[in-house]
Amino acid sequence: MTELGLGLRVSVTLCFEPRADQIGSLRNALSDLCTPHISDADELSRLLLTAHELLENIVKYSAGGDVEFECTIERVTGGLRARLRTRNRADPNRLDDVRARLAALGAANDAISHYDEMIRDSAGKREGSGLGLARIEAEGEMRLEYRIDGDELTITAEGAISDHGRP
Amino acid sequence: MSELSTLVTDGFTCTPTLDAAELSIVFAGSGDMHAVAPVADYLKQVHELAVQCSLSRVSCDFRSLTFMNSSCFKAFVVWIDTVKNAPQPYAIRFLTDPNLHWQRRSLEALRRLAMQVVSIEN
Repeated sequence: MTELGLGLRVSVTLCFEPRADQIGSLRNALSDLCTPHISDADELSRLLLTAHELLENIVKYSAGGDVEFECTIERVTGGLRARLRTRNRADPNRLDDVRARLAALGAANDAISHYDEMIRDSAGKREGSGLGLARIEAEGEMRLEYRIDGDELTITAEGAISDHGRP
Repeated sequence: MSELSTLVTDGFTCTPTLDAAELSIVFAGSGDMHAVAPVADYLKQVHELAVQCSLSRVSCDFRSLTFMNSSCFKAFVVWIDTVKNAPQPYAIRFLTDPNLHWQRRSLEALRRLAMQVVSIEN
Protein backbone atom coordinates (compact mmCIF):
# COMPACT_ATOMS: atom_id res chain seq x y z
CA MET A 1 0.00 0.00 0.00
CA THR A 2 1.37 3.42 -0.99
CA GLU A 3 1.40 5.92 1.84
CA LEU A 4 -0.08 9.33 1.31
CA GLY A 5 2.38 12.20 1.09
CA LEU A 6 2.80 14.66 3.92
CA GLY A 7 0.10 17.08 2.76
CA LEU A 8 -2.30 14.64 1.09
CA ARG A 9 -5.54 13.85 2.87
CA VAL A 10 -7.28 11.95 0.07
CA SER A 11 -5.86 10.50 -3.12
CA VAL A 12 -8.02 8.15 -5.15
CA THR A 13 -7.73 7.07 -8.76
CA LEU A 14 -10.36 4.93 -10.43
CA CYS A 15 -10.12 3.23 -13.82
CA PHE A 16 -13.44 1.84 -14.95
CA GLU A 17 -15.93 1.33 -17.73
CA PRO A 18 -18.32 4.27 -17.27
CA ARG A 19 -21.93 3.52 -16.35
CA ALA A 20 -24.67 6.03 -15.54
CA ASP A 21 -26.04 3.95 -12.69
CA GLN A 22 -22.72 4.11 -10.82
CA ILE A 23 -22.39 7.87 -10.58
CA GLY A 24 -24.47 8.25 -7.42
CA SER A 25 -22.54 5.48 -5.70
CA LEU A 26 -19.21 7.00 -6.71
CA ARG A 27 -20.30 10.40 -5.44
CA ASN A 28 -21.39 8.88 -2.13
CA ALA A 29 -18.09 7.01 -1.78
CA LEU A 30 -16.19 10.23 -2.45
CA SER A 31 -18.33 11.97 0.16
CA ASP A 32 -17.43 9.29 2.73
CA LEU A 33 -13.73 9.63 1.91
CA CYS A 34 -13.64 13.42 2.08
CA THR A 35 -16.05 14.17 4.92
CA PRO A 36 -13.47 13.58 7.69
CA HIS A 37 -11.17 16.17 6.10
CA ILE A 38 -13.67 18.83 5.00
CA SER A 39 -15.56 20.16 7.98
CA ASP A 40 -17.63 22.71 6.09
CA ALA A 41 -20.65 21.04 4.46
CA ASP A 42 -20.94 23.79 1.84
CA GLU A 43 -17.35 23.24 0.78
CA LEU A 44 -17.92 19.49 0.55
CA SER A 45 -21.04 20.18 -1.50
CA ARG A 46 -18.97 22.14 -4.06
CA LEU A 47 -16.54 19.27 -4.38
CA LEU A 48 -19.27 16.67 -4.84
CA LEU A 49 -21.11 18.79 -7.41
CA THR A 50 -17.88 19.06 -9.38
CA ALA A 51 -17.26 15.32 -9.13
CA HIS A 52 -20.81 14.52 -10.24
CA GLU A 53 -20.68 16.74 -13.31
CA LEU A 54 -17.26 15.43 -14.35
CA LEU A 55 -18.37 11.82 -13.89
CA GLU A 56 -21.52 12.42 -15.94
CA ASN A 57 -19.42 13.99 -18.67
CA ILE A 58 -17.33 10.87 -19.09
CA VAL A 59 -20.43 8.66 -19.06
CA LYS A 60 -22.13 10.80 -21.71
CA TYR A 61 -19.19 11.59 -23.94
CA SER A 62 -16.65 8.81 -23.64
CA ALA A 63 -15.96 7.19 -27.00
CA GLY A 64 -15.41 3.78 -25.45
CA GLY A 65 -12.80 1.97 -23.45
CA ASP A 66 -11.87 2.55 -19.86
CA VAL A 67 -11.89 6.00 -18.32
CA GLU A 68 -9.97 7.44 -15.41
CA PHE A 69 -11.17 9.57 -12.52
CA GLU A 70 -8.83 10.99 -9.94
CA CYS A 71 -9.49 13.05 -6.83
CA THR A 72 -6.90 14.46 -4.48
CA ILE A 73 -7.35 16.62 -1.41
CA GLU A 74 -4.17 18.19 -0.18
CA ARG A 75 -3.43 20.34 2.82
CA VAL A 76 -1.84 23.63 1.83
CA THR A 77 -1.14 26.85 3.67
CA GLY A 78 -4.45 28.31 4.75
CA GLY A 79 -6.64 25.31 4.02
CA LEU A 80 -7.08 22.52 1.52
CA ARG A 81 -6.71 22.20 -2.22
CA ALA A 82 -8.94 19.88 -4.27
CA ARG A 83 -8.04 18.52 -7.66
CA LEU A 84 -10.35 16.35 -9.72
CA ARG A 85 -9.31 14.95 -13.06
CA THR A 86 -11.03 12.84 -15.70
CA ARG A 87 -9.44 11.19 -18.69
CA ASN A 88 -11.34 9.51 -21.51
CA ARG A 89 -11.37 9.00 -25.24
CA ALA A 90 -13.77 11.26 -27.12
CA ASP A 91 -14.87 11.70 -30.69
CA PRO A 92 -13.67 14.74 -32.70
CA ASN A 93 -16.97 16.61 -32.42
CA ARG A 94 -16.89 16.32 -28.66
CA LEU A 95 -13.29 17.47 -28.53
CA ASP A 96 -14.14 20.54 -30.61
CA ASP A 97 -17.12 21.27 -28.38
CA VAL A 98 -15.11 20.99 -25.17
CA ARG A 99 -12.32 23.11 -26.60
CA ALA A 100 -14.81 25.86 -27.48
CA ARG A 101 -16.62 25.72 -24.14
CA LEU A 102 -13.46 25.79 -22.06
CA ALA A 103 -11.94 28.55 -24.17
CA ALA A 104 -15.08 30.62 -23.53
CA LEU A 105 -14.88 29.86 -19.82
CA GLY A 106 -11.21 30.80 -19.75
CA ALA A 107 -11.90 34.07 -21.54
CA ALA A 108 -14.77 35.04 -19.24
CA ASN A 109 -13.96 37.69 -16.67
CA ASP A 110 -16.53 36.43 -14.22
CA ALA A 111 -17.66 32.81 -13.88
CA ILE A 112 -21.11 33.73 -12.53
CA SER A 113 -21.88 36.22 -15.31
CA HIS A 114 -20.74 33.73 -17.92
CA TYR A 115 -22.88 31.01 -16.32
CA ASP A 116 -25.92 33.31 -16.27
CA GLU A 117 -25.39 34.08 -19.94
CA MET A 118 -25.10 30.39 -20.78
CA ILE A 119 -28.28 29.68 -18.83
CA ARG A 120 -30.16 32.35 -20.78
CA ASP A 121 -28.81 30.97 -24.07
CA SER A 122 -29.65 27.38 -23.14
CA ALA A 123 -33.29 28.25 -22.44
CA GLY A 124 -34.04 28.35 -26.14
CA LYS A 125 -32.29 25.08 -26.89
CA ARG A 126 -34.52 22.11 -26.33
CA GLU A 127 -31.77 19.49 -26.64
CA GLY A 128 -28.71 19.06 -24.50
CA SER A 129 -27.61 21.05 -21.49
CA GLY A 130 -24.13 22.34 -22.17
CA LEU A 131 -24.16 23.80 -18.67
CA GLY A 132 -22.15 21.19 -16.78
CA LEU A 133 -18.68 22.67 -17.18
CA ALA A 134 -19.87 26.24 -16.58
CA ARG A 135 -21.69 24.98 -13.50
CA ILE A 136 -18.43 23.56 -12.14
CA GLU A 137 -16.78 26.96 -12.38
CA ALA A 138 -19.75 29.01 -11.16
CA GLU A 139 -21.35 26.81 -8.52
CA GLY A 140 -18.40 24.53 -7.77
CA GLU A 141 -15.99 27.47 -7.73
CA MET A 142 -13.33 25.31 -9.37
CA ARG A 143 -11.00 26.34 -12.15
CA LEU A 144 -11.08 24.08 -15.20
CA GLU A 145 -8.23 23.16 -17.51
CA TYR A 146 -8.06 20.62 -20.28
CA ARG A 147 -5.59 18.78 -22.45
CA ILE A 148 -6.23 16.97 -25.71
CA ASP A 149 -3.78 14.33 -26.81
CA GLY A 150 -4.95 12.58 -29.97
CA ASP A 151 -8.48 11.41 -29.13
CA GLU A 152 -7.80 11.50 -25.42
CA LEU A 153 -9.39 14.27 -23.36
CA THR A 154 -8.22 15.20 -19.88
CA ILE A 155 -10.23 17.71 -17.85
CA THR A 156 -8.94 18.99 -14.53
CA ALA A 157 -10.93 20.95 -11.96
CA GLU A 158 -8.96 22.56 -9.19
CA GLY A 159 -9.82 24.88 -6.35
CA ALA A 160 -9.32 25.91 -2.78
CA ILE A 161 -11.39 24.28 -0.06
CA SER A 162 -11.86 26.17 3.16
CA ASP A 163 -11.57 24.20 6.35
CA HIS A 164 -12.63 26.91 8.73
CA GLY A 165 -14.14 25.46 11.84
CA ARG A 166 -11.60 22.64 11.98
CA PRO A 167 -9.46 22.77 15.12
CA MET B 1 -55.65 14.88 -10.08
CA SER B 2 -56.17 13.49 -13.56
CA GLU B 3 -54.03 16.01 -15.43
CA LEU B 4 -50.85 15.54 -13.47
CA SER B 5 -49.97 12.32 -11.74
CA THR B 6 -47.06 11.33 -9.53
CA LEU B 7 -43.83 10.77 -11.40
CA VAL B 8 -41.69 7.86 -10.27
CA THR B 9 -38.35 7.07 -11.88
CA ASP B 10 -35.26 5.31 -10.63
CA GLY B 11 -34.44 7.12 -7.36
CA PHE B 12 -36.51 10.19 -8.11
CA THR B 13 -40.14 11.17 -7.57
CA CYS B 14 -42.43 14.18 -8.14
CA THR B 15 -45.65 14.25 -6.14
CA PRO B 16 -48.19 16.94 -7.03
CA THR B 17 -51.01 18.44 -4.99
CA LEU B 18 -53.47 20.91 -6.46
CA ASP B 19 -55.10 23.23 -3.97
CA ALA B 20 -57.23 26.19 -5.09
CA ALA B 21 -54.99 28.44 -7.16
CA GLU B 22 -51.71 26.76 -6.26
CA LEU B 23 -50.01 23.61 -7.44
CA SER B 24 -47.44 22.13 -5.04
CA ILE B 25 -44.98 19.51 -6.16
CA VAL B 26 -42.68 17.61 -3.83
CA PHE B 27 -39.45 16.54 -5.51
CA ALA B 28 -37.57 13.73 -3.79
CA GLY B 29 -34.47 11.66 -4.41
CA SER B 30 -31.67 12.52 -6.82
CA GLY B 31 -32.21 14.18 -10.19
CA ASP B 32 -29.54 12.43 -12.19
CA MET B 33 -29.22 11.14 -15.76
CA HIS B 34 -32.19 8.79 -15.43
CA ALA B 35 -34.48 11.64 -14.45
CA VAL B 36 -33.64 14.15 -17.20
CA ALA B 37 -36.23 13.24 -19.85
CA PRO B 38 -39.05 12.49 -17.36
CA VAL B 39 -38.48 15.80 -15.55
CA ALA B 40 -38.46 17.81 -18.79
CA ASP B 41 -41.70 16.18 -19.86
CA TYR B 42 -43.21 16.59 -16.40
CA LEU B 43 -42.48 20.32 -16.29
CA LYS B 44 -44.19 20.74 -19.66
CA GLN B 45 -47.27 19.11 -18.16
CA VAL B 46 -46.99 21.37 -15.11
CA HIS B 47 -47.03 24.43 -17.33
CA GLU B 48 -50.00 23.17 -19.35
CA LEU B 49 -51.95 22.55 -16.15
CA ALA B 50 -50.97 25.92 -14.70
CA VAL B 51 -52.21 27.73 -17.81
CA GLN B 52 -55.34 25.61 -18.09
CA CYS B 53 -56.30 26.24 -14.46
CA SER B 54 -55.07 29.87 -14.38
CA LEU B 55 -52.90 29.09 -11.38
CA SER B 56 -51.28 31.97 -9.55
CA ARG B 57 -48.38 29.94 -8.20
CA VAL B 58 -46.53 26.65 -8.51
CA SER B 59 -44.47 25.58 -5.49
CA CYS B 60 -41.56 23.21 -5.92
CA ASP B 61 -40.63 21.59 -2.64
CA PHE B 62 -36.95 20.61 -2.91
CA ARG B 63 -36.46 19.75 0.76
CA SER B 64 -36.14 16.06 -0.03
CA LEU B 65 -34.20 16.52 -3.25
CA THR B 66 -30.63 15.52 -2.48
CA PHE B 67 -29.09 16.54 -5.81
CA MET B 68 -29.92 17.72 -9.31
CA ASN B 69 -27.54 17.42 -12.26
CA SER B 70 -27.04 20.11 -14.87
CA SER B 71 -29.36 18.41 -17.36
CA CYS B 72 -32.27 18.34 -14.90
CA PHE B 73 -31.35 21.91 -13.99
CA LYS B 74 -31.65 22.77 -17.69
CA ALA B 75 -35.22 21.41 -17.69
CA PHE B 76 -36.06 23.97 -15.00
CA VAL B 77 -34.34 26.69 -17.05
CA VAL B 78 -36.61 25.89 -20.02
CA TRP B 79 -39.71 25.84 -17.83
CA ILE B 80 -38.90 29.10 -16.04
CA ASP B 81 -38.08 30.79 -19.34
CA THR B 82 -41.42 29.60 -20.73
CA VAL B 83 -43.27 31.01 -17.74
CA LYS B 84 -41.34 34.28 -17.84
CA ASN B 85 -42.38 34.81 -21.45
CA ALA B 86 -45.96 33.62 -21.04
CA PRO B 87 -48.81 36.15 -21.53
CA GLN B 88 -49.82 35.68 -17.91
CA PRO B 89 -46.82 34.47 -15.94
CA TYR B 90 -47.47 32.68 -12.68
CA ALA B 91 -45.14 32.65 -9.70
CA ILE B 92 -42.72 29.80 -9.08
CA ARG B 93 -41.62 29.24 -5.49
CA PHE B 94 -38.84 26.90 -4.44
CA LEU B 95 -38.88 25.53 -0.91
CA THR B 96 -35.36 24.53 0.11
CA ASP B 97 -33.36 22.84 2.84
CA PRO B 98 -30.44 25.06 3.90
CA ASN B 99 -28.47 21.92 4.80
CA LEU B 100 -28.52 20.83 1.16
CA HIS B 101 -26.00 23.44 0.13
CA TRP B 102 -26.12 22.84 -3.65
CA GLN B 103 -29.71 24.15 -3.60
CA ARG B 104 -28.72 27.69 -2.65
CA ARG B 105 -26.16 27.93 -5.45
CA SER B 106 -28.31 26.32 -8.14
CA LEU B 107 -31.57 28.02 -7.26
CA GLU B 108 -29.99 31.46 -7.04
CA ALA B 109 -28.94 30.95 -10.66
CA LEU B 110 -32.54 30.11 -11.57
CA ARG B 111 -33.78 33.15 -9.68
CA ARG B 112 -31.40 35.40 -11.59
CA LEU B 113 -32.94 34.05 -14.80
CA ALA B 114 -36.39 35.37 -13.85
CA MET B 115 -36.40 37.49 -10.72
CA GLN B 116 -40.02 38.55 -11.20
CA VAL B 117 -41.16 34.94 -11.36
CA VAL B 118 -38.92 32.88 -9.08
CA SER B 119 -38.73 33.08 -5.30
CA ILE B 120 -36.77 30.93 -2.87
CA GLU B 121 -37.78 30.10 0.68
CA ASN B 122 -36.12 28.04 3.39
